[in-house]
Amino acid sequence: MKQIFVACTCAMALLTAGSAYAHHSMEGFDRDKNVTLVGTVKQFKWANPHSWIEMEVPNDKGGVDTWNIEMTAPFVLVRAGWKSSSLKPGDKVTVVGHPQKTGEPGALFVSVTTASGETLTDRPPAPAPAAK
Amino acid sequence: MKEDAQVQKQFQPANAFLMACLFVASAIGVMAQSAPPVPAPPPPQLGALAPSNIAKTREKPAFDLTGTWLHAFSRDNPFTFAPPPGFKLTPEAQVHYDAAKKARAEGKAYHDDIGQCWPAGLPLIMTRVWPIAMIQKPTVIFMVSGFMNSTRIIYLDGRKHTDPDLVIPSFNGESVGHWEGDSLVVDTIGFVDDHHWLDSGIPLSDKTHMVERMRMLGDGAMLEIEYTISDPKSWVGEWKWTKRWKRVDDTDITEASCLPDLNAHMPSVTSKSVNVR
Repeated sequence: MKQIFVACTCAMALLTAGSAYAHHSMEGFDRDKNVTLVGTVKQFKWANPHSWIEMEVPNDKGGVDTWNIEMTAPFVLVRAGWKSSSLKPGDKVTVVGHPQKTGEPGALFVSVTTASGETLTDRPPAPAPAAK
Repeated sequence: MKEDAQVQKQFQPANAFLMACLFVASAIGVMAQSAPPVPAPPPPQLGALAPSNIAKTREKPAFDLTGTWLHAFSRDNPFTFAPPPGFKLTPEAQVHYDAAKKARAEGKAYHDDIGQCWPAGLPLIMTRVWPIAMIQKPTVIFMVSGFMNSTRIIYLDGRKHTDPDLVIPSFNGESVGHWEGDSLVVDTIGFVDDHHWLDSGIPLSDKTHMVERMRMLGDGAMLEIEYTISDPKSWVGEWKWTKRWKRVDDTDITEASCLPDLNAHMPSVTSKSVNVR
């Protein structure tokens, strides 16, 4: 199974374009593309000004690549349902992110799905529809 | 006579030494008279938090900024301070602007100093993703950003700007404010001359002058600031923007430090092929 694939998701790019979720330039990420990474969490850092995920992803050559996934600030993640214990080393996860334009193993976080099927993003869940 | 001559001879070196001392002393005296007088130090400024300063009678402020505020990001309220249409840069700044434009076209970041842990400074520190705690006293407003723990101080006690020869340049500059009707008008100078940017490729210098007109909207739920910024080292004329912040009562700021070991896991700031300097 090919474990890394890149898909053009223009709609997603439009939604996130201009996002102010970082303090520095995001020029290095290709926001018109998503990369899906299936791998194992090596480290999840719960820290200001940015959190990040370091994960190991099997590559096509039979080896393992270490990817750094750049995230937004914890106070934003809290509003999206995150805790410092949301990810632990050894967790099997599927991460979606905007890849680096250079092809280096790094990405800007979009979402993560854990082995239990829970998906977390960096945006608050949509409010429940009002009762009629 | 012989004895006298011997005594006189013995005293000769002592006389020479005495004369030399007198000459040096008189020379110092002449120099002291001709040297320019040492300027008197500026009169001490009563501290903004001194109880006797706070207790002085002042006009009633139009509003109280005390609270936690977050830049209300939207398409018509961006966090960037982009140059206005038809802007004109100085030749020095144009070099940076063109290089940043080229880098952007290549998918690269140009002099992303904030990513490399340099302070954002004003005005960018006001529109970061992190909230800002503002504490207002009659004499001063403290603004502490949830990003990099950056502290901004706006003096309201009537003081003038520090003598340019004495001011210590900083990324947030020196701000003094006064009330005009429903607005607080804040004047800021005293900025650093390097690693300080208004926008990608547009440097700010020690000649930056910033005026902010702050007012409350929506019964105190929204803060609006109209910016007028000039920098003759970088562009011609004054540029204006209007930004808004929302009061966020359900959060507090926390410490945020830019650290090398954290940055090491941030592809956007560590990739040498992406960051152009």
